[in-house]
Amino acid sequence: MTDHWAGRWRVPVIWGLLLLAGCLLMGQLEALFRWVEPDSRDVIFSRVDFLVLLGRHLLVVSVAAVLATLIGVGGAIAVTRPGGRDFLPLVAQVASLGQTFPPVAVLALAVPVLGFGTLPIVVALLLYGLLPIVRNTLAGIEGIDPSVREAARGMGMTSGQILRQVELPLAAPVILAGIRTSVTINIATAALGATVGSSNLGDPIISGIVNGNTAYIVQGAVLIALLALTVDSVFARLAPARRA
Amino acid sequence: MIELINISKRFGSTTAVDSISLKVESGEFCCLVGTSGCGKSTTLRMINRLIEHSDGEIHIDQQPIRSFKEEALRRRIGYAIQSTGLFPHWTVARNIGLVPRLLKWPKSKVDARVEELMTLLGLSMDEFAGKYPDQLSGGQAQRVGVARALAADPDILLMDEPFGALDPITRESLQLELRDLQARLGKTIVFVTHDMDEALALADRLVVMHEGRIMQQGHPLSVLREPANDFVASLLGGEDRGLKEAALLPVSERMMPLGTGGVARERIDQGASLREALSVMLWRRVERLAVVDDDDIPIGELSFRRLVGARIHD
Ligand SMILES: Nc1ncnc2c1ncn2[C@@H]1O[C@H](COP(=O)(O)OP(=O)(O)OP(=O)(O)O)[C@@H](O)[C@H]1O
Ligand SMILES: [Mg+2]
Repeated sequence: MTDHWAGRWRVPVIWGLLLLAGCLLMGQLEALFRWVEPDSRDVIFSRVDFLVLLGRHLLVVSVAAVLATLIGVGGAIAVTRPGGRDFLPLVAQVASLGQTFPPVAVLALAVPVLGFGTLPIVVALLLYGLLPIVRNTLAGIEGIDPSVREAARGMGMTSGQILRQVELPLAAPVILAGIRTSVTINIATAALGATVGSSNLGDPIISGIVNGNTAYIVQGAVLIALLALTVDSVFARLAPARRA
Repeated sequence: MIELINISKRFGSTTAVDSISLKVESGEFCCLVGTSGCGKSTTLRMINRLIEHSDGEIHIDQQPIRSFKEEALRRRIGYAIQSTGLFPHWTVARNIGLVPRLLKWPKSKVDARVEELMTLLGLSMDEFAGKYPDQLSGGQAQRVGVARALAADPDILLMDEPFGALDPITRESLQLELRDLQARLGKTIVFVTHDMDEALALADRLVVMHEGRIMQQGHPLSVLREPANDFVASLLGGEDRGLKEAALLPVSERMMPLGTGGVARERIDQGASLREALSVMLWRRVERLAVVDDDDIPIGELSFRRLVGARIHD
């Protein structure tokens, strides 16, 4: 049992440890970065501690993910109920079209309305992260074998019971995949927050671009990549194991 | 008792069911037959309100079905469909126990009931209770579907081609089980099928539908013998109706007392059908059979003349 557990979670734990090590020990790699960036005085980004940046990054992404999940799953459920069916085609279309909209554009549109700071980036991530969740929840619920739904009704389950005991459990793997896509994309996208005054792991990258310091860019990029890998590997293991 | 009074169902401009009236007495086995798209499933699904009827009234035990809460109505009516609709994320045992759990039976009672039903339908507890639907064969899944429909011991069962996907042998054994169950427990059953032999073997009341209307209804033998029109006659098998009728009549009906000329060599059980008797005659090339009782003791004989001619005077 413990062996099984340890085996299951080994990969995320390894990525997580690498991420932590990256935040704590970046300074130890000064020699390496000096070789990458021989012309600059500072080669280790030190304006804010990496751990703090990681914390802010995680916070922004988590808040956006939780909101996007609540709104996305809730909205998709609403338009698959009899009362909301009329909106299903519209919502489905917006969800798939929205994916082709670049996140930078969402951000650019959000700033004039919401000003600088953390709010516009949360809103941008929320809107952008909503789409895969809505799309997958719709696909998951609509993909259920109609005879299963007919039987559920025929046996006398209420619509609430059907939703909780049949539709959501059956759609769960697809919904989870949508959340995973949404979060993974948003971990990268959140870096843009640094351009609108929301500090996170995007700071070293933006600062590196502005000051022409490749070492900074590499540091931010590596930490964001490690974070994405950690979170993605956690999601990969969340899929419900139906049978022993 | 189920009573449909001038029931119609329209989907947009198509009329799926057109003003039908039908009365199924308590304990009666009613089979709906007819060509594809004639409205059999629609009729069935109006009874448990999966489809709301457009016109007319449906009564169950003298009460209009719209006077019950939808879910409460469905929980007291068993429902089994060809595609089974088993929940893929639940085990066999959990699937079967669904309606009793909805009715808030105590867990021990649900468990006992699930075990009882699995035994009844020949599904071994050890082997199947923990399996998931996608680990079952088509026939096993249909048994589970029937068990689930029976779980809360409903007085009424609605079955839409429940044995549709089965091989003839499994199908026949399930038919026998169902017929037996119905006779023993006094269930009222409305059963849709495409298989005329199945309908004739099971029904107390045969209902022939065509384009949303009932063409004829009555006891299978009377429908067979006096079809209302050419459509009913051809649906019931055209020239094959003689064999279908023979399949419904037991040997004992046409048997004669043992004669003095010695007992015939080939035997037939008194409970067998005339159709089986005819088949034995054809196969063995004989014109006389000894009719035996359950202990294989000859109790009479059946001649070919008798078999084919008893309705005309012998
Ligand atoms: N939900 C629906 N919407 C529109 N038309 C429907 C609907 N359900 C059934 N129909 C139509 O009603 C008619 C009767 O359908 P029904 O399913 O009752 O036929 P059936 O006798 O069960 O056929 P089969 O033997 O093929 O199962 C068909 O013409 C069908 O197209
Ligand atoms: Mg049908």
